[in-house]
Amino acid sequence: MSRRVYLDYAATAPLLPEVQAAMVSAMKAGYGNASALHSTGHAARCAIEDARAAVAQLINANPEEIIFTSGGSEANNTVAEIFRGKKVAVSAIEHPSVLGSMRARTEECKIIPVNQEGRVDSANVPTDVDLVSVMLASNELGTLEPVAEITERCHKNDIFVHTDATQAIGKIKVDVKSLGVDYLTLSAHKIGGPIGVGVLYVRKGAPYKPLIIGGHQEGKRRAGTSNVLGIVGLGAAATWCWDNWSCKLFAEKVRPLCDDLRTRILETVPHSSCNSPMEGCLPNILNMSFRAAEGESIQLYLDAENIMVSTGSACAAGDIKPSHVLMATTGDAEVAHSSIRFSLGIETTQEDIDRVIQVLPGLVQRLQGISTIKIKEEHD
Amino acid sequence: MTEPAPWVYSDTVKEHFLNPRNFLMGDESKYPHDAEGVVGNPVCGDQMKMFIQVQNDQIVDVKWKTYGCASAIASTSALSELVKGKTLDDALQVGPQEITDYLGGLPQHKFHCSVLGHEALAAAIENYRKKE
Ligand code: FES
Repeated sequence: MSRRVYLDYAATAPLLPEVQAAMVSAMKAGYGNASALHSTGHAARCAIEDARAAVAQLINANPEEIIFTSGGSEANNTVAEIFRGKKVAVSAIEHPSVLGSMRARTEECKIIPVNQEGRVDSANVPTDVDLVSVMLASNELGTLEPVAEITERCHKNDIFVHTDATQAIGKIKVDVKSLGVDYLTLSAHKIGGPIGVGVLYVRKGAPYKPLIIGGHQEGKRRAGTSNVLGIVGLGAAATWCWDNWSCKLFAEKVRPLCDDLRTRILETVPHSSCNSPMEGCLPNILNMSFRAAEGESIQLYLDAENIMVSTGSACAAGDIKPSHVLMATTGDAEVAHSSIRFSLGIETTQEDIDRVIQVLPGLVQRLQGISTIKIKEEHD
Repeated sequence: MTEPAPWVYSDTVKEHFLNPRNFLMGDESKYPHDAEGVVGNPVCGDQMKMFIQVQNDQIVDVKWKTYGCASAIASTSALSELVKGKTLDDALQVGPQEITDYLGGLPQHKFHCSVLGHEALAAAIENYRKKE
């Protein structure tokens, strides 16, 4: 079997060795319940506060503004709970945990349209709502959203702003002060931390209401015995990003690989097109479509070659509908069904990219050859 | 990772997906056939087309094309093997359940993929009978 090529970092990034080490020593330390006053409880509490400080440092927040949650989805649901019964507006390409929870809890959830690149125009942001939620970067396309600009407009109209920074964190600079947002979501497992822990940043003074009630943890803002191991892991991942200038690594090391992948796919794979923007995109996400070839089939033929990617095709995840993001940007179901997302990480190498280019053109051409969709006539 | 993760689908599905039988590569007009049938729609993410050669009420050869997922490819490949040589009536009896059983099962949300092949074949047979 050929070497494993993992290009699904946007789904989850492998645990960093430093994170693993921090978690193992936390496990060995045998921490007690962080709420207990005795010394093992106190030790746990200290570990949690260290992690809080590390996350706060990474996003330029104050430690009191950091609330640990079970992940990005819980953080997003919490924001929806805060605005229960109110009016909100969210972008068309938000993660389902934003779209779904806002629709379920608010009085009205308006959808802000995006352009072909998946970008919100701040002029289209409604001014008659209580909260606006626009992600910092799209998980499917990598498109960066003008969140600072949106916040500036919204604050003039006394509208609160939430941004889901789950994909952006660690890849580009995320600074809550310069973004000006009131709420921000992030998740550990996208930056080499463990699955099952995340953060909701709540600006001091912004309205708050807990989603989970029944304990004084997290300053009465999130009940439940603290997930010490997970939080320690998240703290270690945040520290790693800070110490290693991860944004610089992504800009200097990962972006060239991602650009190379795009250029060579466009050169070597017939009828391929790029769904990610050329400018204003995360350094590590590339979404491509391959005319007449179905996404899940491409994904699984790549998997058989030990290359892991993801697809926006409905056929893949057991969904009935294709990616709502590609439907919002292209309005073309076929483009969505034929899409593949490559997402790179700090461990990605030139050999990984070369390997993709070795196998992808052939297998896409084969699928195009047996496809019921004819492409010849439609070409130019 | 110390051990390779098992594949999402059964070994038979995998085998047929990786080595599909009787697919029609390229221009379909180059393949002489007595009838064809098509079902599905690219907008829904899947489309299936079946081509049959018939002699004395018997399917002597069958080929297919698809814009569909791995399960669609595997189940149609399996179906094409199952019906070759059968009479038209017998071929119609090979339903989605038989195909999925043959494949060692498909996840529930993938059942419709096996329906596609069956329906495309049924459409081809119907078209053939109309012509007769
Ligand atoms: S053909 Fe649609 S999921 Fe298989």
